[in-house]
Amino acid sequence: MTLQNLLTIQRLVAFKARREDIQRLLLAAERNLNDSAITAISDENRFDAAYKCVMQCSMAALQANGYRTSTSQPGHHQTAIQTLPLTVGLDPKVVVVLDGLRKQRNINDYAGDPISPTAVDECIKQAQALLKHVCAWLAKNHPELT
Amino acid sequence: MLADFLLGSFRTRVLSALLLHPDATWHARELARRIGALPGSTSRELVKLADAGILSRQQIGNQVHYRANRNCPIFVELAGMLRKTSGLAMVLADALQPLVEHIQCALVFGSVARSEESVHSDVDVLVLGNIGFADVISALHPMQEVVQREINPVVYRAEDFRAKLSSNNTWALEVVEKPKLFLIGGADDFAKLVDDPASRRIQGAA
Repeated sequence: MTLQNLLTIQRLVAFKARREDIQRLLLAAERNLNDSAITAISDENRFDAAYKCVMQCSMAALQANGYRTSTSQPGHHQTAIQTLPLTVGLDPKVVVVLDGLRKQRNINDYAGDPISPTAVDECIKQAQALLKHVCAWLAKNHPELT
Repeated sequence: MLADFLLGSFRTRVLSALLLHPDATWHARELARRIGALPGSTSRELVKLADAGILSRQQIGNQVHYRANRNCPIFVELAGMLRKTSGLAMVLADALQPLVEHIQCALVFGSVARSEESVHSDVDVLVLGNIGFADVISALHPMQEVVQREINPVVYRAEDFRAKLSSNNTWALEVVEKPKLFLIGGADDFAKLVDDPASRRIQGAA
């Protein structure tokens, strides 16, 4: 599946991002990552903050490639995560982990199952690594957006 | 589970052990130990399955060894059915085996463990140990193709799971109270991990 295919089946929408669009997302991602370190809040909310960072990094990655997800379609979080190898060359093995974290969040949101401290640790670790990866990719491939 | 319904639970256990490890050979007593059954009934079942051509047998010394007969016309279908149903625990246990040093206990909970699963039910797996979520999901993810179901692992350090329990979290209480399929460790290990004060002291000291 290419990004162009995903555009054809309307999973993605063409979007011409400006530098400000990307920067706004990355600043929000960084804020969320910092919030995820706050231990005074619940594991669920720390996890959510780190997960938001992952999502915003994924959105920035898509936008830098000229797309955004179609929020009118179900599963746009999944699309954003699963396109990371196409947008910023992320290792598909990492996508498996990120997608697993997405499912943890769904189960927590819809069934109320707790988020484990182990999952919080992983989500923060993955968010940090992804933010770093996306920033490095942008600097190399789209310096005009940084 | 479906396989139990079709084949009976004992036959399913015997067939799962042999057909899901088609290159392993067993003699009756060895297999009986592995599946926790009586040697006599295990031996009779092996004879019947070999007579039907589902297993092959080989005389080694004074022992008869059995293994899956790959030439049986329905070997692939039978193994596939077991893998997707009751053999599921074995498939998942094998996948977690490389991580066993870091896992104190692993089990299936939820609808699959209660034999109440529908065609679309996910497999809920709880892993207790000092291990990262990424390691567990990376090991289990490829098995989704094999069992044709989504697998959702939940990973806790034993002390974190105990903390959830002592806060009367209903999810954790349900995991403890409802049926489980053990993948690594058994019911005794799990019971010790979740409420043995001695293990709590050891954990606290670590």
